[in-house]
Formats: sequence, C-alpha cells, structure tokens
Amino acid sequence: MDTSRVNSTELEQFLSKEKEKAMANEIVAKLTHICWDKCITSTPGSKFSSSETTCLTNCAQRYMDMSMIIMKRFQSMH
Amino acid sequence: MDPYSSSSSSSSSSGASPQVSTEDIMDQVKLQLAQAYAEEFLETLRGKCFEKCITKPGSSLSGSESSCVSRCVDRYIEATGIISRALFRTSS
Repeated sequence: MDTSRVNSTELEQFLSKEKEKAMANEIVAKLTHICWDKCITSTPGSKFSSSETTCLTNCAQRYMDMSMIIMKRFQSMH
Repeated sequence: MDPYSSSSSSSSSSGASPQVSTEDIMDQVKLQLAQAYAEEFLETLRGKCFEKCITKPGSSLSGSESSCVSRCVDRYIEATGIISRALFRTSS
C-alpha cells in the first residue's frame, strides 16, 4: 500500500475529533437507556406527554450533576 | 516496488500498489463508526421495545404488538434527541 499521500497531521486531528464525537454519542446513548427506563413507564404512545419530556430532560441533567458530586467526593478522599 | 504487495495478486493493473489518500482513510473510519453505531442502536431498540411491547409472547405477533413496536422505535429516537439537547444545549 502506498501511503505517501497520507497527511498524518490532518489524520490525527480528524481522529481526535471523531473520538470526541463518539464519546458524546456514547453518553447520549447511555443516558437515553437509563432515562427511558426511569421516565417511560407506560407503553409508548404516539406522542410523549409533557411530563415524560420533562422527565427525560431532568433525568439527563441531574445525572450529570450527580456525576459531578461523585467526582468531587471521590477526589476529596485522596 | 512495494515489498508488501502479494505475488498472488491477480489484478490485471500491472504491479502498481494502490495509492491511499488521507481522505480514503477518513471515509473508511466514518463508515465503520456509523455502522458500529447503527448496530448498537438497533440492538438497544430491540431490547427496549421487546421489553415494552412483547410482554407476553404469544403464538404470533399481534397487531397491537406491532404497532407498539413502531411507536416504541419512534419514541426512542425522539428520546435520544431530547437527551442530546438536554446535555449539549443547556442554558448555562
């Protein structure tokens, strides 16, 4: 394989950007998983109720708040 | 000459090794990431919607179960959007 035309700097930048995007996608997927179970308790309807929508939003944001607290708590142990 | 090009290569285009550009690699990476993401997402949908809609598996899938699955898929995709917005478009 002839790789003489590959720009490694450009490729590295691309890969780190893709990695960042993949991480963001992963967090979204994980929280959707968790918050779906917490907030969508009935069989899925043709539309979310406003309380379900609010619950999903709150669930995701509180999860992030919580993870901050855990992080701080953990750091203070050292 | 490329020492790695196999002699068993039956390609008719003489012995020239394929030129790979940065763009080729990027496209390949993007494609594979998208495929992996789609597969994982589908697996999640199967799990979540089976749990929600096929509560008592019968001898065949009922009409209401099928329509539940359709709604479940739509709502799960919608939920993913809501979560994404909640995380990355917060009023700070």
